[in-house]
Amino acid sequence: MPSPLLPEFFALLGIDVFLAISLLTCLLDKRFPQAIPYVYQIAALAGFGHLLISKEFMVLFGEYMRFWYCFIYLIVALANIVGVNIYLAIPKSSSKKLRTLAKVFFGTVTFPTILMCLFFVSSYSNGTGSSLSLFPQVPLEHVYVVLIVCAGILGMGFIVAFRRKKMTKTGREVS
Amino acid sequence: MDVRKIRYKRFLKLLTLLVTSMFIATASATIYYSLTMEPRVTVSTPVVKFDSASDEPSGSTVNDAWCRLTAKSYPNATLTYEKAVYINNTDSGSAHSIRLSHVSITPANGTSDVGNWTSIKFLVYNSGGYVFSLNYTVSGTDWILQPSGGETSYYSVPASTAWWIRLETLSPATATAGKICDIEIAVDVQE
Repeated sequence: MPSPLLPEFFALLGIDVFLAISLLTCLLDKRFPQAIPYVYQIAALAGFGHLLISKEFMVLFGEYMRFWYCFIYLIVALANIVGVNIYLAIPKSSSKKLRTLAKVFFGTVTFPTILMCLFFVSSYSNGTGSSLSLFPQVPLEHVYVVLIVCAGILGMGFIVAFRRKKMTKTGREVS
Repeated sequence: MDVRKIRYKRFLKLLTLLVTSMFIATASATIYYSLTMEPRVTVSTPVVKFDSASDEPSGSTVNDAWCRLTAKSYPNATLTYEKAVYINNTDSGSAHSIRLSHVSITPANGTSDVGNWTSIKFLVYNSGGYVFSLNYTVSGTDWILQPSGGETSYYSVPASTAWWIRLETLSPATATAGKICDIEIAVDVQE
């Protein structure tokens, strides 16, 4: 059975990832250079152009090639999320607050995004047969497992963050 | 500098980014949706197809996707075409299920011409023997279909295997020569 997803789905995912980072970096504008949100918007626009080109030359490019260039675009978007996360956590600018922010960012943005993308790639490879055998094959119907794992990690992250905050507060009160 | 002004600027920046993000996301999703709505139809040879067989009635036409068998019928004697036509599953990888279903027949029910035939049977065989059949028998001036619903159950033809249709015709002793019966049946294939 062919995959219900088209290769362009990964480009769409990449565009959404870029837009999300753009908004997040705008919200955290004190920690990032002013131009960063706009750079990500341009990257998302480039992805839109990429989709348009893919649509025009769909037959010419073939499914294998379309998958790879869309997948590379998604990898670039994910690498940027990881980059932003590392930027928040690097020792140069690290204060306790920033490190906590980096952890929360990892739990709420980086990890769920990477997990969801991995899931979609594996479910896509599940429907295409042998050509993408290097990816593990997970059927699309198991999306709820990924969502539960994401929610679990998110919940754990919150519990750890709040417990530490509470402990620090209590410590201060005692001293 | 006024704090309110800074906040206002920040809010405007966020709003602008939010609006452009929504535009880009919507446009991209629309493009993706239009891609999924572009069906591509490729002309190809059917996986399960008809093939000429050793006892094909003369004057018949057999193509991959359809065939016309011009069979005869003798009064008071059963005429059998042992292998009228092959139903060939050319898929080497997997089995496909087939069935026979009635589409149309002339002369129609209630016409006196129906009485020129006793039965016309389409029996499907494989190397192991009889598998299933679609039969037309006459009762008065009406055709009686067997199975009564006009279609058989589905039967699985193994990969790279050919089954064949055995055609049996019979007319009553009183049948008029030259009368023609046209039957259209479909071989439904689950691909």
